[in-house]
Amino acid sequence: MSVEAIRTEQLTKIYRSTWGSRGRTALDHLDLCVHEGEVFGFLGQNGAGKTTTIKLLCSLLRPTAGTACVFGENSCGRRARAFLGYLPENPYFYEYLTPRETLDFYGKLHGLDARGRAREWERLSELLDLRRIGDMRVREFSKGMRQRLAFAAALVGDPPLLILDEPMSGLDPLGRRHTRELILQLRDAGKTIFFSSHVLSDVEQICDRVGILVRGKLTSQGRIDELVERRIQSVEVIAQGIPPEKVGELSADAIKTRVSEAGHHFVMSDVAAADGLVKKIHAFGGRLVEFSTIRESLEDYFMREQHRTGGAAS
Amino acid sequence: MRIFAVAHNTFRETVRDKVLYVLLFFAGVTVFGSKALGWISVGQDIKIVKDISLAAISVFGALIAIFVGASLVYKEIDKRTIYTIISRPMHRFEFVVGKYLGLMGLIALVTLVMGLVAGAYVLLLGGTIDVVFVTAVVLIFWELLVVTALAVLMSTVTSPILGAIIVFSLYVAGHASGILVDLPPHFENTWTETIMHVLYYIIPNLSNFNIRPEAANGVPVSMAYVGWAIVYGTVYAGMLLGVAAAAFEDKDV
Repeated sequence: MSVEAIRTEQLTKIYRSTWGSRGRTALDHLDLCVHEGEVFGFLGQNGAGKTTTIKLLCSLLRPTAGTACVFGENSCGRRARAFLGYLPENPYFYEYLTPRETLDFYGKLHGLDARGRAREWERLSELLDLRRIGDMRVREFSKGMRQRLAFAAALVGDPPLLILDEPMSGLDPLGRRHTRELILQLRDAGKTIFFSSHVLSDVEQICDRVGILVRGKLTSQGRIDELVERRIQSVEVIAQGIPPEKVGELSADAIKTRVSEAGHHFVMSDVAAADGLVKKIHAFGGRLVEFSTIRESLEDYFMREQHRTGGAAS
Repeated sequence: MRIFAVAHNTFRETVRDKVLYVLLFFAGVTVFGSKALGWISVGQDIKIVKDISLAAISVFGALIAIFVGASLVYKEIDKRTIYTIISRPMHRFEFVVGKYLGLMGLIALVTLVMGLVAGAYVLLLGGTIDVVFVTAVVLIFWELLVVTALAVLMSTVTSPILGAIIVFSLYVAGHASGILVDLPPHFENTWTETIMHVLYYIIPNLSNFNIRPEAANGVPVSMAYVGWAIVYGTVYAGMLLGVAAAAFEDKDV
């Protein structure tokens, strides 16, 4: 039986105003389970409650109702936090410290002695390539450097669970790629990774399971291949050399058509229709350039869920 | 260890605060400018310099405690540096106590520097530094212990501006709390008298730490009184810090 790294039961957070009005429900009876060793993607639009959930898990917020446990320990307690490393969205550090001093400070908060902190610096500066910038002040850092330091800070004390809030946010394509590779590297090292993201293609590439949050409610959770419909939705055919007078005839059965430098694009409803089209293209003296099937992506599923639950952005 | 890590970091942070240097500059101007008042009072110049210098240490020390202390925890929340700190395996009270001790480290340094500068100036003018003067500086430090605890409490519950106004008001009221129980006879056995008595015990009695007249005139102060004032200040600051920690315990950040 797998160990539960995170379990929330009926977790609810209502933000109340100073004067005690009814408040805004940011998280509504969330039941969530993340198993040890998996990469779990937490998806939702802005304001869906992702950061609230993460803050509740890290004990930055207190729940209005329900419980959150980390490796069986209530998240409000100190012991739960020994199991987790947290990377906030747009991480902030003391600007006057260097990465070496920053990690040393966090090491002290984990109760590590001087030798343990020196070991952590060696390990993390190697893993995150911080040695070169180890004695620079944080105020001089770029976004990418800060993100590397934030990852290192989350890994101080070698916690088994990493909670990452939008780790790809604001990174350039190279930075995103490095982050993806790092997450997979950490997963291979046995870490459990729980992260929120807007970048669905990244989530699709690295997550074992996902959960979708709509307006504070978890609408679905599971393996991506279980959630996403993998049947062929349509087929795209690209062809060149078609006589202009025959294009109209070929377009008659297509769902969508367009012209690009690659040639004429025909989107067909299924493989059989596409086969028929290809035969006609050859008969008219045309040449097939590409034949590709289109299946539902995580993004399509995400949008479907948003529409189904009424959470789509207006 | 975690408390001292936070305290050490807070000291490093607060020592960089520009407000500190502006206030220290004005404290220096007040100490050195006190000679001008000494010229007005013929033959009293050393007493005046001692009195004004000690007042400057108290007032500017309190202003540093208020301006730096009132934003101490609030700033961590506002700048979000707190996220990567209290998500560690530490108690929240350790963070509050660490912040307080870090600022107290700065206040101790500032009091020491201002005390040394004031003492050196008195010696330069031909005066003497006795035990009462040193004791007066020590009691000012204990007064600042209470003011800083008040400022840290405010920084956990309200904005820096409102917090600074409240603490400054209490600093002023704390030096004049005697008037709360020294009411005219027609207030006897009235609600006003009861309320004033309650306020007298709630507001820190900062005049307990004021032995400036004795220090200026070289009048000895009993060690029993000094000991009592130190215990009063320590207990009061401890209680305030306890309330600050309790207020911060369930605060959403």
